[in-house]
Amino acid sequence: MTTSTSSPSQPADAGRPGPVTTASAQGCTITDLHKSYGDVEVLKGISLNVEPGEVVCLIGPSGSGKSTLLRCINLLEEPNGGSITVAGFDATDPDVQIDAMRAQVGMVFQSFNLFPHMTALENCSIAQRRVRGRSKEEADAVSRTNLENVGLAHLADRYPDQLSGGQQQRVAIARALAMEPSLMLFDEPTSALDPETVGDVLGVMRQLAEAGMTMVVVTHEMGFARDVADRVVFMDGGVLVEEGPAQEVIGNPQHERTQSFLARVLHADGTLDG
Amino acid sequence: MSTAIRQRTSLSPRQRAKINRNVQYAILIAVVLIAGVLTDWGTVGEKFFNPAVIADQFPEVVTTALKNTIIYTALGFVLGLALGLLLALMKISPVAPYRWIATLYIEFFRGVPALLVFIAFGYAVPYAFGIRIDTYMTVMLALGIVESAYIAETLRAGLQAVPKGQYEAARSLGMSNSRAMITIVIPQAVRIILPPLTNEIIMMTKDSSLIYLLGLTASQYELAKFGREAISSPEAGLTPLVVAGAAYLVITVPLGILARKFESRTAKLSRE
Repeated sequence: MTTSTSSPSQPADAGRPGPVTTASAQGCTITDLHKSYGDVEVLKGISLNVEPGEVVCLIGPSGSGKSTLLRCINLLEEPNGGSITVAGFDATDPDVQIDAMRAQVGMVFQSFNLFPHMTALENCSIAQRRVRGRSKEEADAVSRTNLENVGLAHLADRYPDQLSGGQQQRVAIARALAMEPSLMLFDEPTSALDPETVGDVLGVMRQLAEAGMTMVVVTHEMGFARDVADRVVFMDGGVLVEEGPAQEVIGNPQHERTQSFLARVLHADGTLDG
Repeated sequence: MSTAIRQRTSLSPRQRAKINRNVQYAILIAVVLIAGVLTDWGTVGEKFFNPAVIADQFPEVVTTALKNTIIYTALGFVLGLALGLLLALMKISPVAPYRWIATLYIEFFRGVPALLVFIAFGYAVPYAFGIRIDTYMTVMLALGIVESAYIAETLRAGLQAVPKGQYEAARSLGMSNSRAMITIVIPQAVRIILPPLTNEIIMMTKDSSLIYLLGLTASQYELAKFGREAISSPEAGLTPLVVAGAAYLVITVPLGILARKFESRTAKLSRE
């Protein structure tokens, strides 16, 4: 996409229902991934393949290494061993174009991490302009489309502190999508939210999954995992314990550790939601 | 009924606190009155607040002295801020030697009196290298170098106070390290450091007086030197120092108010 175009530019997916262009979805292959902090080995040889357009939910007790695994995929954590191929980049190659790679991999954080000195619109536009080299008009148009897709077009000029947690997280998703990533990573996106706003965020993620985005989601929302994920991966103690179709892993777990984890979280929840 | 009886017989905690406060007021008023009575107001008025001498100070105290104090402070601040930012970035750099150099520099210039640095740039450096440094350059170097050590620590604290998630979010969107710092981290750090940075400017305003050590021409006098020169005539008394002091307050008090404004704004931002 050229930046010098003078005609009022339309984002590639303007007017099209659904928030993303599915044609660009790409996968991710992780092989024998190791990660340690000092003497503590957090990931003990994880292998995982995510197909383009697939939705994979990572579940497991806290400290099981699922967030670390997710953060290794876009190199927020540097792996100690193994290999990761993501969106066509060899992430574990020391010469990888790290910024170009990250521009292809959307990341949504538990604590939103919106830029507090910028409006929702500016949050979505800043990286498009500084990384993708888009003009302000072009970037803002893409941002508005993405804010509209998460249902927040009317709050584009609000600052993050004027938005609820759920709204902030939806802006964060729009911000990541505005870069037109080929894969999205979600690190416990609803864990910091008030219960009544969780549904809005999950709704946006569901819509995104239906549009064909490749998604890797660390979550405690078992209902979401069961209904939306193509595959659920259960991790414990830095190893991948069990994986399989969502209904099977959650409805009929084979491994004893998966069973006791699910019994705990489902019991605490009372029941699975929708 | 029973409460009324108890109030008559013993004091409630609130009543006791009220009596305590009133006693303190009474003591304070007594001290002020005694000091007022004992003071020789005639002499004080003549030596400190002599209207004729005050009038003599104008307009030069403003057009020369106050102006020069502001110029010297501004020069020092510009260099101090530039050097301080460099040092702060070095101090948080992953490159260990940068951190060592920055730490050494900061510890040294925070640890030695500013007076020594002024003497060094006023006399020792020109002598040792056989060069001439003009007054404005001297004050800029001496003040800037000393203050950069303090400013560096202020900036470093500000940069580190920006949540790590902000940097991670920026990098995750594909921004380079320097782009993330410039676009995301530094603008937020500036909000955090404005109050302490304003306090640094107040300190610098006063430290600029150390230039009096060097030979200054009359047009280069700043407030402290100007006041010092003016009291050398016997009939002036100490009034010129009072005028100079008041002129410092004209700069520093508004800065203090500004710092408090920034502080309450920062507090509001972090609360939201």
